[in-house]
Amino acid sequence: MPRRRDEEEDMDDDDYEEDQYDEEEEEENDRSTRKRRRSDFIDDVAEEDEEEEEEDDDDDEDYGGGGGGARRHKAKKRGSQFFDLEAQVDSDEEEEEEEGEDDFIVDGGADLPDEDDGRRMHRRPLLAREDEQEDVEALERRIQARYARSSPQEYDEETTDVEQQALLPSVRDPKLWMVKCAIGREREAAVCLMQKCIDKGPEMQIRSAVALDHLKNYIYVEADKEAHVKEACKGLRNIYSQKVMLVPIREMTDVLSVESKAIDLSRDTWVRMKIGNYKGDLAKVVDVDNVRQRVTVKLIPRIDLQALANKLEGREVAKKKPFVPPPRFMNVDEARELHIRVERRRDPMTGDYFENIGGMLFKDGFLYKTVSMKSISTQNIKPTFDELEKFRTPGENGENDIASLSTLFANRKKGHFMKGDAVIVIKGDLKNLKGWVEKVDEENVHIRPEMKGLPKTLAVNQKELCKYFEPGNHVKVVSGTQEGATGMVVKVEQHVLIILSDTTKEHIRVFADDVVESSEVTTGITKIGDYELHDLVLLDNNSFGVIIRVESEAFQVLKGVPDRPEVALVKLREIKCKLEKKSNVQDKNKNTVSAKDVVRILEGPCKGKQGPVEHIFRGILFIYDRHHLEHAGFICAKATSCAVVGGSRANGSRNGDAYSRFDNLRTPPRIPPQSPRRFPRGGPPVDYGGRNRGGRGRHDALIGATVKIRLGPYKGCKGRVLEVKGQSVRVELEAMMKVVTGNIISDNVDVSTPYRDPPRYGMGSETPMHPSRTPLHPYMTPMRDSGATPIHDGMRTPMRDRAWNPYTPMSPPRDNWEDGNPASWGTSPQYQPGSPPSRAYEAPTPGSGWANTPGGNYSEAGTPRDSSSAYANAPSPYLPSTPGGQPMTPNSASYLPGTPGGQPMTPGTGGLDAMSPVIGSDNEGPWFMPDILVNVRRSGEDSVGVIREVLPDGSCKVVLGSSGNGETITALPAEIEIVPPRKNDKIKIMGGAQRGATGKLIGVDGTDGIVKVDDTLDVKILDMVILAKLAQP
Amino acid sequence: MFFHIVLERNMQLHPRHFGRNLREHLVSKLMKDVEGTCSGRHGFVVAITGVDSIGKGLIRDGTGFVTFPVKYQCVVFRPFKGEIVEAVVSMVNKMGFFAEAGPVQIFVSNHLIPDDMEFQSGDMPNYTTSDGSVKIQKDSEVRLKIIGTRVDATEIVRT
Repeated sequence: MPRRRDEEEDMDDDDYEEDQYDEEEEEENDRSTRKRRRSDFIDDVAEEDEEEEEEDDDDDEDYGGGGGGARRHKAKKRGSQFFDLEAQVDSDEEEEEEEGEDDFIVDGGADLPDEDDGRRMHRRPLLAREDEQEDVEALERRIQARYARSSPQEYDEETTDVEQQALLPSVRDPKLWMVKCAIGREREAAVCLMQKCIDKGPEMQIRSAVALDHLKNYIYVEADKEAHVKEACKGLRNIYSQKVMLVPIREMTDVLSVESKAIDLSRDTWVRMKIGNYKGDLAKVVDVDNVRQRVTVKLIPRIDLQALANKLEGREVAKKKPFVPPPRFMNVDEARELHIRVERRRDPMTGDYFENIGGMLFKDGFLYKTVSMKSISTQNIKPTFDELEKFRTPGENGENDIASLSTLFANRKKGHFMKGDAVIVIKGDLKNLKGWVEKVDEENVHIRPEMKGLPKTLAVNQKELCKYFEPGNHVKVVSGTQEGATGMVVKVEQHVLIILSDTTKEHIRVFADDVVESSEVTTGITKIGDYELHDLVLLDNNSFGVIIRVESEAFQVLKGVPDRPEVALVKLREIKCKLEKKSNVQDKNKNTVSAKDVVRILEGPCKGKQGPVEHIFRGILFIYDRHHLEHAGFICAKATSCAVVGGSRANGSRNGDAYSRFDNLRTPPRIPPQSPRRFPRGGPPVDYGGRNRGGRGRHDALIGATVKIRLGPYKGCKGRVLEVKGQSVRVELEAMMKVVTGNIISDNVDVSTPYRDPPRYGMGSETPMHPSRTPLHPYMTPMRDSGATPIHDGMRTPMRDRAWNPYTPMSPPRDNWEDGNPASWGTSPQYQPGSPPSRAYEAPTPGSGWANTPGGNYSEAGTPRDSSSAYANAPSPYLPSTPGGQPMTPNSASYLPGTPGGQPMTPGTGGLDAMSPVIGSDNEGPWFMPDILVNVRRSGEDSVGVIREVLPDGSCKVVLGSSGNGETITALPAEIEIVPPRKNDKIKIMGGAQRGATGKLIGVDGTDGIVKVDDTLDVKILDMVILAKLAQP
Repeated sequence: MFFHIVLERNMQLHPRHFGRNLREHLVSKLMKDVEGTCSGRHGFVVAITGVDSIGKGLIRDGTGFVTFPVKYQCVVFRPFKGEIVEAVVSMVNKMGFFAEAGPVQIFVSNHLIPDDMEFQSGDMPNYTTSDGSVKIQKDSEVRLKIIGTRVDATEIVRT
């Protein structure tokens, strides 16, 4: 035993070598290790130790002298290997009892090293004591002695892993049982158990009860057997011991281990205050006191000097300040002026001088405040540039700034670095080493250094790395306030990049960490609520303006003030509505200006600028000049100080606004009937009015159209559309001499006036036909351009400019015609030899670009783009000599008569569809294709139908009936099943290179079908899965 | 940098051009189509210098159009990163200035203008060195290095 004491006092458990010299001790040593192992589960060890100590005192650290005593103990120890032998130990108890108190004072320090002991004491329940049924006083004393002694031991943190391992529970230890108890009574239950233990003493065979704060409804009980637990819980109201669950040994440690929230607070870290006046303020850590859990932070003070002066002088002190003073640097002179005492003191620790004002410490204008760690938040601090700027005082030089910037990266999210990222080391020996990320482990990033002569890869802690960009890189901002923006890096200032935004042409400052390299070109967010970038909006105070920038929560609006550019930051709720009204105004020369006309500004600050008019409101023009760098290129000018350049484009059927002039047209423009709201160029009507250029004109095609109202009080009335506004139209009724407003969707106005197709030049051979009565028309996607347009454009004037002209996605050419204004052809953009790049630049949306032009219809599937654009620039309007060509494909011809409404118009779209650039280039596209026969499963019943159209979302418009003359429904792909073709059936190929082709199934071979392709007369063997039965006429 | 390269393209010709002048029609259409276009790969097509070959035309089903594969030589202008070009300044503002090198629009950010040059606003905005010896204003000629490019409006920088 003395040997063991020695060991303990030396604070060196591994000190075994010496022991080996001593023969006698060898054995002891052996024993002591055993004892340590055993000590885990022996309750009496504590007493033993105390006893040993006492002995030790006697021995006065004399090994030899303690020999006899050791023997005695040794024998006992061997016996007490098993934990239920407390009785033996207890014999020493009395003796120990007396001395224990002395130990309390004398030996407290000497005991320090026995850290096993300390732990044991914490773990041990009071059981051993209970055995003796001592009086409470004795118990109390002992407890006091024990815990008083153990407290200093806490300082000893030098435990080795091995030791820790030895403490882990093993199979021989008591088990931990999970017992259900009343919710919210966990602690109570545990206390009850304790009380019961005290009361009942040894009868209770459980060893401990634990209630965890974070665990509701359960407590843990330590006991050897389940029966013990049940026994102990018997009669306790709060505990439901029907079900006692054993905690697996492996998980036992987890139950009682405390997740340490490792707050890695170091100096120069940015934090935010959580409470008080400074709540939300950025602060910089200047000192950390881990022991007291306090942090000294540097803040920009929010101090009302006047109030402070009042307070210090004992004048009336406002109870509650109505407002939080704005952050401002402390100015000592100002304070002195207010007769506030400013003491200048030197901090004894750092040697820095602080100004002490009313108990607060200031330095360089900053407030130094010591707060509890709990009152600051350290995670995900993303200081904005403004905040950082403020923190940068003249006193601080640049270097300091970098250091603090680098700490910004301390808490970034996982997966920050990706393979291939260019990075730079910002800390440590390898500082400024550039490299590329090769592999990312948890914390470490393996980089391939740029420098030669270094190992292939280096592992660097991710906190020491920062992304690296070079000027000229095109990047995308992925986090922070500018999230979503893209641009080109024009300057790199350490970890801050200056990016030239693609869209706004403005410089953005971002952290290198927030961006990724990308070739994408976006604006960031362009829409909040219903309002989109470049919309004209009416504001609360009846002023109006154009949205020139969309920020995270607000819009920047260029107000409609002509003399000087006035930009307001407007919240969503401050916007009253979007202005979609189209109006014309007169310019200086009394010429009419409408939207999209190019005007030149003749007066005012922006004199000389020129550009297309984007919006007109109350005589104010909003002009877009892409060379104008401010305000996203928008200029606001009075109409009377501008002049139209080169004649109004509106005349050239430039866009929908033109229609306002042609309101008197007799013939309505051709519009897709049945669902007039479905206009080809794109998304749902809600989007209408989005991007001016793209959206404009969609509904305008409706203006002037004669419609029939299908629902509501005016049901059945016919009239002419005067105006389209959002979802509603204003209709001038024929019968009532009245103008009513109706909703496009609910009223479902329907074009009903039959009209002749006017003769047109070069169309001799063309079958006169009604345009687009078939349901095929309301295409909503680019497919329409490719698929459906041949019908209009192909057969009529394929050269019609609408496709080429980004401004007039929809303008029906006929208007030019009937207007008797062939001159407009002259101005129509197909003749504009403008250089394509600029045109591409103008094309606002992909949908209206030239890629999806009708020209594509004529193209081979293989070269859709080329040829379409080629076609675009064709010198003269081509007129197909055949009526559209599509009918040549047998399938379409065959299905002509089946078209509801009888318009022999739509054929072939299916056939051509396949060739269209959209589908042709994408074999993975929608599986279903028009014109195929399908089974539609709906509400439990199957019905045969013919797909007329595949909508962009994958659902299909299906005309019921095997010949396609029933009702039209829209079915989801899941509801549709292809009708497998049989031998000699006409089929359509739905996949592979031949997708879209039609043919005849001349035989079936297992899962393969033998197909004779109509076009080439080739015989192919194709998978049956991709063959669908073609609708028969 | 300018390149003289051979490109190929499928041309579609309307049937009404079929006849004696088919070739001429094809070439003129080619010029109209191609000259002035810009592709990310080849850059800006400045001019067509010759037509190497015109392949066999293929009549398209349904339209009567004929597709000819045409091989042609052309001069292309393609700016590269790091290339040094000379350009004429077209506009100056506080963010930097715009310059044009042939078809290419170049923007020089003020961050990349030497630090000793200051922006002077006024009637004729310009960048001037502190000693006034060098002035960049509209129509001045500058030599610059391209640091990045983008198809549609090429972006570039450095004096």
